[in-house]
Amino acid sequence: MADPSPQPPPSASTQSPLQPLQQLAALTELETPSVAPSVSKPDTPGPTATATPELISAPSPAISYTVIVPSFSAWFSWDEIHDTERRLLPEFFDGKSTFRNPSSYKYLRNAIISKFRSQPTSKLSYTEARRGLVGDVGSVRKVFDFLEEWGLINYTPPKKGKEETEARGALGKKDDSSGKRICTSCGAGCSLQCFTTAKANMTLCAKCFVKSNYQRPGLSSADFKRVDLLEEPRPDWTDKETLHLLEAILHYGEDWKKVTEYVASRPVKDCIARFVKLPFGEQFIGPKEEHNGYTEQGGDDTDENESIKRRRLSPLADASNPIMAQVAFLSAIVGPHVAETAAQAAVSALSNLGANEATDLTTETNEEHEKLYSTPCCSVDGCGSDLSNCRDYHRRHKVCEAHSKASIVLEEAKNRGSVNNVAGFICCLSLMG
Amino acid sequence: MKSSSLAGAIGASSRERERASASASASVSSIKFRMPTKEKEKESLIPIHLDLDLDAHRYKDAFTWNLHDPDSLVLSFAKRTVKDLKLPPTFVSHISQSIQHQLAEFRSFGGQDMFIHEKIVPLKLDLRVNNTVVRDTFLWDISNFESDPEEFAVTLCNDLDVADPEVAPAIAVAIREQLYEIATQSVSAVKEAKLGKKGRRGYELSKGGNNALDVSRYFGSKGSGVIRKRKDWYMNGPTVDVLTNEEVGTLEELNSRFRRKLDEKEDSFLQG
Repeated sequence: MADPSPQPPPSASTQSPLQPLQQLAALTELETPSVAPSVSKPDTPGPTATATPELISAPSPAISYTVIVPSFSAWFSWDEIHDTERRLLPEFFDGKSTFRNPSSYKYLRNAIISKFRSQPTSKLSYTEARRGLVGDVGSVRKVFDFLEEWGLINYTPPKKGKEETEARGALGKKDDSSGKRICTSCGAGCSLQCFTTAKANMTLCAKCFVKSNYQRPGLSSADFKRVDLLEEPRPDWTDKETLHLLEAILHYGEDWKKVTEYVASRPVKDCIARFVKLPFGEQFIGPKEEHNGYTEQGGDDTDENESIKRRRLSPLADASNPIMAQVAFLSAIVGPHVAETAAQAAVSALSNLGANEATDLTTETNEEHEKLYSTPCCSVDGCGSDLSNCRDYHRRHKVCEAHSKASIVLEEAKNRGSVNNVAGFICCLSLMG
Repeated sequence: MKSSSLAGAIGASSRERERASASASASVSSIKFRMPTKEKEKESLIPIHLDLDLDAHRYKDAFTWNLHDPDSLVLSFAKRTVKDLKLPPTFVSHISQSIQHQLAEFRSFGGQDMFIHEKIVPLKLDLRVNNTVVRDTFLWDISNFESDPEEFAVTLCNDLDVADPEVAPAIAVAIREQLYEIATQSVSAVKEAKLGKKGRRGYELSKGGNNALDVSRYFGSKGSGVIRKRKDWYMNGPTVDVLTNEEVGTLEELNSRFRRKLDEKEDSFLQG
């Protein structure tokens, strides 16, 4: 594939803007040496190891490009044979063979490298190389293997190489403000843990680490340090995110996958935790009068309050979810203090994000339940009459006979917060359990 | 044109040398079998030819192999080739078997005598590599053990500005194949002679085949002995044609049709 000699400098009559470009192209054109070893090489300077990451493209067919050569092969030059080569391929230099001699070595080496560099993006295969070379295949094999090992052909620098970071900054390690880590080899986000190495400034996700998918040849598994991402603190929810969350819940209800997708910046657990912690009022964006009636600090008379609360609680009580119904009943029966304490404990346990949170909550509810059962007295505020005389039913539900005859007892919530917390408690139970 | 009018660019000077040495030594010498090309002891470059057709994959290749490379190289070469060309893995064993068979064949000639006298043989080139067709006839001096087919191929391609780098190795292999054939023929000729079939005189005359030329007759008595007859000029110059892809396609079609016909004939012959 002998290129013609560099284009003659364009004549003065041609368009001037193209001239300097063409001349530049002619100067920096990398010519492939012709097949015969006796033809002298043109004196264009060979690419050096510290190639500048610039791409000069010219309208002429010759395009110059940068070639990256690893630093341990910086000794390479077109015209000379280095000691490394003499040392590692002695059969070419000991004079024992007729067809293996320095000039044939140089011919093979230069031909292989030029062939690779004519298409630097694709990997040059041995068969392709030897087809175009005069000589026995054993010699070609030796030279080819040597060049490949030393990165003079088929070498793609790792993405983290320092020459590459200026040119391809986008592919470098992403570390945006939300604290997400991107794996350098597969590009997937690392959520649970990642493996970093200081040697090459790389981050791998767990999958790539296990697959030993290191970009650079010099790394081993011992170089990597594990970083657990769960320890990293998560920034607070912004208002926007909270709004998104609420909208999503409104649309999708309890389908947390879809909600997480909608919110887009938080994993599922975060979404749920945030929702649970939200104040009660935002959960029900219901009809206006309810909302208004609710926000007023219980200014209306008790009946209205009661009816509003009844209406508000009845969705919960009527829920087909039996757990919800039970918890609604419990929250009504149980004293507000107890419920509040239980709910607060539940929420604080949630924020710890421990695995035993669910069991803690359940044990707490069990404990609470036990507490209720141990003292048989009516739990309606202000009543407290002894239930030991009453029937089992009454004892179980902690209402005295009189109050049990009333419709669902709704204690006037001393503060809104307790009911909110109970609602949160309900939700978290149903979702996390 | 220059090369056609001279008596083969390669053999000329060496031929004169050999003439001188032959007249000095006067007797014919028989030597151990080897490729009549430049090589030091303990090494031989021999042509390997592969033509395999399995599983609807056709693999055709020709290259030069150093006889003294370790045998482990055969298998690794086969594997590498199959991997590079994405052939089905059944090819690995076939390729390595074929290579080893040819190497063994060459080795079987080792140690036998071959008779090399001063001989000019015409070599022919008629090959197509990708889009380039090369046709040539030239004279080669068999007894010149310093000859180098690779150098000849490279020089030819440079002189004729052949763009495709794959042509040169193909030419070199083609030359080697013909030289190999001549060498093996001369071995068998020696064997025949030793069996006393033709007697001493016949032995000298037969000289391993019809390839030998009576040089004086070849060039004509008129004028100086080195100018070829004008009518032979066209035959003896190299022609290099670069075909377009369509022409290549039609050629391949013709080839395959021809091959199929041959196969059919072979089958009918075997059955009949």
